[in-house]
Amino acid sequence: MIVSYNWLKEFVDFDLTPEELAHRLTMAGLEVDAIELLGYGLDSVVVGRLDSVEPHPDAERLTVCQVTTGGETVPVVCGATNHKVGDLVALAKVGTRLPGDCSIKRSKIRGQVSMGMLCSKTELGLAETSEGILILPPGYPLGEPVFDVLGLKDARLEIGLTPNRPDCLSLVGVAREIAAMVNRSLSLQYATPKETGLPCGDSVSIAIEDQDLCPRYAARLIRGVTIGSSPEWLVNKLEAIGLRSINNVVDVTNLVLMELGHPLHAFDYDQLRGGRVVIKRAGEGESFTTLDGQVRTLRSEDLVICDGEGPVALAGIMGGENSEVGPDTRQVLLESAYFNPVTVRRTSKRLGMHTEASHRFERGADVNMVPIALDRAATLIMEVAGGSLAQGMIDCYPQPVAERRISLKFSRVNEVLGLNLTGVEICSLLQSIDLLVQLAENNHSVSVRVPTFRPDLEREIDLIEEVARLHGYDKIPVTMPTSEMICHRPEPAQRYARQIRNTMIAGGFSEIINYSFIASDGDSLLLDADDRRRCSVRILNPLTEEQSVMRTNLVSSMLETVARNRAYRSTDLRLFELRPVFQPQDGELLPRESLRLCAAISGRREPLGWAQAEASADFYDLKGQLESLLAGLQLRSITWDASSSDSFYHPGKSCTVGSASDRFGTLGEVHPKVLKNFSIDQPVYIMDLDLEAVFSATGSGRPFQAISRFPDICRDSALLVDDQVDAARVLSVIEEVRGATVEDYTLFDLYRGAGIPQGKKSLAIRVRYRSAEKTLTDEEISTAHERIVAALRKRVGAEIR
Amino acid sequence: MREQLTELLEQGRSALMNADSAEALQQARVALLGKKGSMTGIMKGMGRMTAEERPVIGALANRIKEELETLFEERAAFIEEQELQRRLATERIDVTLPGRTRFSGSRHPVTLVTEEICDIFASLGFGVEEGPEVEQDFYNFEALNMPKDHPARDMQDTFYINDDVVLRTHTSPVQIRAMLKHAPPVRVIAPGTVYRRDSDITHSPMFHQIEGFLVDRHISFGDLKGILTTFITQYFGKNVGVRFRPSFFPFTEPSAEVDIQCVICGGGGCRVCKKSGWLEILGSGMIDPEVFRSVNYDSEKYSGFAFGMGIERIAMLKYGVNDLRLFFENDVRFLQQF
Repeated sequence: MIVSYNWLKEFVDFDLTPEELAHRLTMAGLEVDAIELLGYGLDSVVVGRLDSVEPHPDAERLTVCQVTTGGETVPVVCGATNHKVGDLVALAKVGTRLPGDCSIKRSKIRGQVSMGMLCSKTELGLAETSEGILILPPGYPLGEPVFDVLGLKDARLEIGLTPNRPDCLSLVGVAREIAAMVNRSLSLQYATPKETGLPCGDSVSIAIEDQDLCPRYAARLIRGVTIGSSPEWLVNKLEAIGLRSINNVVDVTNLVLMELGHPLHAFDYDQLRGGRVVIKRAGEGESFTTLDGQVRTLRSEDLVICDGEGPVALAGIMGGENSEVGPDTRQVLLESAYFNPVTVRRTSKRLGMHTEASHRFERGADVNMVPIALDRAATLIMEVAGGSLAQGMIDCYPQPVAERRISLKFSRVNEVLGLNLTGVEICSLLQSIDLLVQLAENNHSVSVRVPTFRPDLEREIDLIEEVARLHGYDKIPVTMPTSEMICHRPEPAQRYARQIRNTMIAGGFSEIINYSFIASDGDSLLLDADDRRRCSVRILNPLTEEQSVMRTNLVSSMLETVARNRAYRSTDLRLFELRPVFQPQDGELLPRESLRLCAAISGRREPLGWAQAEASADFYDLKGQLESLLAGLQLRSITWDASSSDSFYHPGKSCTVGSASDRFGTLGEVHPKVLKNFSIDQPVYIMDLDLEAVFSATGSGRPFQAISRFPDICRDSALLVDDQVDAARVLSVIEEVRGATVEDYTLFDLYRGAGIPQGKKSLAIRVRYRSAEKTLTDEEISTAHERIVAALRKRVGAEIR
Repeated sequence: MREQLTELLEQGRSALMNADSAEALQQARVALLGKKGSMTGIMKGMGRMTAEERPVIGALANRIKEELETLFEERAAFIEEQELQRRLATERIDVTLPGRTRFSGSRHPVTLVTEEICDIFASLGFGVEEGPEVEQDFYNFEALNMPKDHPARDMQDTFYINDDVVLRTHTSPVQIRAMLKHAPPVRVIAPGTVYRRDSDITHSPMFHQIEGFLVDRHISFGDLKGILTTFITQYFGKNVGVRFRPSFFPFTEPSAEVDIQCVICGGGGCRVCKKSGWLEILGSGMIDPEVFRSVNYDSEKYSGFAFGMGIERIAMLKYGVNDLRLFFENDVRFLQQF
């Protein structure tokens, strides 16, 4: 909503600068988003008279003018051609700073002294384009500021209104707020228009068929109008709030709309068939052309204004092309009505028609404004377009709306706000915005009568808000709640999620957040035709197809992120995302949202450096990260099952991760075809975990184990085994046969190549022996180690090198 | 023998003091005190001594031996120190060579800000609750006093799954779920992902919010101001100005926008604050009785306040990020700055 500072002053007398006004409105809940000043700081642009206009001696297109401002006369070089001696002009004196940061200085133009500038409308910020300099009508006092004498000094305030305040969608509504804040009264008095024509009822009849959707419909007929352009005052007024002039009749309806907040519609009476107006629901499927030229298909829930034959307007939204006021209109039927907010909203939403009228009706217009706005508009139309007003106003208002009464307890006000206001103070605040209050007999509460222009005030709490707003939020003391202690320890899942994040970050991974909606696509991950991740929650109204379904996995977004970073020439990537995925569930309204962790590693193992390994990261870098993550959650005895993983992995370089009883997720190198689908040019390793499975398997910390005071002894053995023998098999044999003296064991080398037969590999293990009770003898250790080696020989066919 | 011993002491002293390396010192010691050394040689003459002389000479020999050992120890320590100093004086590494580095990870700024804010509220006794992102219309709108056809629904462009299911447009539905789960008193903070059908330089179709609320007996608007002012001074610093001004949300009444003094210009007016000197960072208000009704709380007995803020906006202000899209492009050059 745009309001004009000057226009507001017509309704309330206040003594605030535009900036002060903006601040006060903002602090009263009418947030001023922008202030546009017109003519401020331009007092040095004054009325001057051209005493002489001579051609410039050295420049064909310029003139040298002697301009008098009454007291002094100055020479000004001017490039315009529309001026002559005796004209009154706008002289920007030396020192003026015009809009657009143009400073006026004393200068010499081709040898001629110029002490100011004769301004055009554009240069003064009064118009976007203009021809020649501004020539003022005769009679203005010389030397006076131009903006003052034209009455154009103004400020335009743009207010971002909240949807609960339809009353402030008008200058009068905003003025009422100002009146309350400066403690003055609102002046709003209009004379009843003179009715000189034949009775209105002779020419038109009005019937409301659907009273529930249209509680009130009033009309007046003006005969003999002349459609034409609007007078300057009307054009200026509309321009002051950013509206363009269309024609005199439409301009009046717009002016009244902005002034009183009530939408009106003017019909060309002669186009209305049958002299009848019927307000009813539209026929299902009926088509109708609105005045913007669009053909609309209507439904039976839409409310239309019909003439004797069919629709002529969409109630409260837009008129029809068939009855639009045009240059040849001679008789105007002026509509002022109140329509049901929900109906207007449904229809305007469905048809995508958001108009000034629908905006107000759907938020709630004022039913009692219907006749006032109608009379005001009729008066103005006759003033600017001539014509005579038919006798009588048709006002169909079968069931007058009663004003709401709300009871307000003073103690409640103070409790909710943390204030200590007296009943008198509360009453005077409410009265300041034209609410009528009546004190109850016990003096503890008040009965408030709410005028119809405040549809938002329905309950006691609504009035409490008004008290808070009018008193000022800044005057409410800051206190701290005195509340019972409650223990709010984070849920285990929240703690684990935080821990996992910390582990990943410590491991060098950067957290990413991708959109939850992605393109519907299972093919790029090579998912099976019946993979349940192909079944996703679809958005009915996506912004683009690329964001049309809720993702069922984090992998495809991860690969896209890798590809994007590769495109930006980042080579070494360690990324993770910890977010929910969405899986539809049969028979459930909402999908299952389950938290997953996806991490990717690609590029170097270590940052490039003089003392760093040059190697690329691989499967085992990511596996190590996963192992420390699981260990941090007290998850041990992890299984790595190479016999199954997921469609998007290299089948020979991936596995399922789990425990004896649970499946946590998968880990592996991304399938070359998948890399190609995402246009990624270097190997990528990914892990994809179901965190709910991980969280539910987390163990508790292990009990403390006593530390031995005796020395350890290590024995290394190099084992030659078949290439097909997995490390896990070797290690599980050791685990099975380890005696009490084995403290730990490590696989510390893997070798294939020279010296090792084809199809074999060498594994080196180190076993650490230690007893809690004594220093072990060489013999004891040899016996223990030999038992392990013998088992390895027998169980995995190991040869000792 | 006495003379021999005295002479040995003199010789030994000069031999030890003249040794200038650990090896030479050791040799000198062996020559003096070793099995085949001078001392042993001299002591062989003990047999020829009388019984009276023997203990006297023996004592003298021991004294001299001790003295020589002491001299040796001193000299050894001296030489060791000297050699250490010599070594330290020659050994050197280039400390300006870069250290062995590892890749360093980073928290997404949205997570960073979320955790910081949650931690502040946790210290004020608020517990973290979460709720679904794909949400029923009932929790997202209706229970929050936004029936279908309410103009307030225009404030939030919504992604629909079907007539009854939406992508939540705010974290406020968690309020409803939490209040249905817990009886008062409750103190909850609810971070989460939200969605609005809007995409341009200043709007992302997915973003993050933190919702918080407190319900108990006798909670007033003054308490709302108290908690939020505490949060703001904790997060943005003690000296930042705060103001509360009236606003409208369907689920609170009275409602307030909370502005802080512009952190970019300090309140003087700049482009970020649209020359107002103030930045809007929080929406808040006293929980509307209608909301209490939908969760069966007695609004005569209990009152409470709720608030919500956008994480990306706060991150942008705190770190001076000027483009919202950066948060979801996941360019590592952006991510690694946090």
